Amino acid sequence: MRGSPLLRALLAFFAILALGWPLRELTGATDAPRTQPKIEAAAEEQEISLKLDFTALPRAVKVLHLGKEVWDETTPPASMERTLQLAYPEAGIDLQLQIEWPADAPLAAVRVTFTDPTGETHEKSLWGQGSVDDVVTFP
Amino acid sequence: MVRRMKAIRFSLLTLLALTLCCSAAEKLRVSSFSTILTEVAEQVGGDQVIVTGHVKPGVDPHEYEPKPGDLKKVGEAQVVLLSAKHMEGYVGKLKESTGTKGAIIEVGDRFASLKMKPEAGHEGHAHAHESDEDPHWWHSLACMQKAVKVVRDAFSKAAPESAAVFNANATKYLAKLDALQKWTRAELAKLPRDQRKLVTSHDAFQYFAKENGFTVYAIEGLSTANQPSSKKVAEIIAKIKAQGVKAIFPESILNPKVLTEITRETGAKVGGELNADGLGEGETSTYEGMYKHNVRTIVDGLK
Repeated sequence: MRGSPLLRALLAFFAILALGWPLRELTGATDAPRTQPKIEAAAEEQEISLKLDFTALPRAVKVLHLGKEVWDETTPPASMERTLQLAYPEAGIDLQLQIEWPADAPLAAVRVTFTDPTGETHEKSLWGQGSVDDVVTFP
Repeated sequence: MVRRMKAIRFSLLTLLALTLCCSAAEKLRVSSFSTILTEVAEQVGGDQVIVTGHVKPGVDPHEYEPKPGDLKKVGEAQVVLLSAKHMEGYVGKLKESTGTKGAIIEVGDRFASLKMKPEAGHEGHAHAHESDEDPHWWHSLACMQKAVKVVRDAFSKAAPESAAVFNANATKYLAKLDALQKWTRAELAKLPRDQRKLVTSHDAFQYFAKENGFTVYAIEGLSTANQPSSKKVAEIIAKIKAQGVKAIFPESILNPKVLTEITRETGAKVGGELNADGLGEGETSTYEGMYKHNVRTIVDGLK
């Protein structure tokens, strides 16, 4: 092949340019958004009702949700109720109860009545002596 | 006079040697093929047993094969403890080659099994093709309590004169497990139930998951010996994104390139290393230590 080297270089440049455009289109990042998988939303806080009934009067009681104190009572009555705003996912909820009964008191129990946001009631009991730190799960 | 003293000294030494020899002979000889059961045997047996732990802490029980020295010990043992649920593929060899007259107790076979997921990758595990039973029962505290009772009963049968001691020791150990269960419930209560999603590279935590309300997504094909397909990696990434999983617990067999890709694409962080196959060193050298380490690692990773 004969001809001007300048012309050949120009031809080669345009050939690369012509090939480059479709290659860029095929391999480059697109601006169109990728379809992202739907991420499960965190459970929202809802109104739940909690009732505690003791067989023996404790000196103190604490209720914790996700490691945070949501209810704290010193010398509580035998029965008490409170409405709380808590996240209540479908998977359920764990409530940690820390109860201080007098050290010399016999075996005692607490009945935990939990009313979920739909109005359905669930019950669980905990037994113990002295200091009790345990978890009840609802539903 | 000197001669008399020598005679007395000789008699006393002989007596002492005989006492030591007899007391050692009276002890129940136990061979254990699981680091977990070695601890249970020592706790339940106390000073009434001599326990030989054949599988040492940190050794992968799936890969372990007994050596001639182990077989000799098994031949002399009165009780042989196996994890079972097909964990010890060499059980037939143990029975045949040692001719042991001791009781072989396949502890895990005394309680119900969970099934391995059909797609679960369990690379390098000899039992994976032999059975679909999940052998990792010790991650369930309820199974662990049953195992303590199985060991107590086996020891009491082999050495009825020490049954009261075994019973008392087992009761003490069961109380420790009760306390551990309460601690676990309180610790896991810090984690919302809808975040209890465990992504591991080794499907060993089904018993733990069932007991504590977790869903397990075991990643298969991520060992350094087995490159997963890009389709498989994409599926894993989509699953982690869809479930909003905050951390993955890879263990040491995970391929680092794949791990980097997954964490980059999903934003999930790498949780600490979980102890899946038995006791380890340091903090994880006891059952309680191992269990607490796993719970703390999971809670810290997913919180």
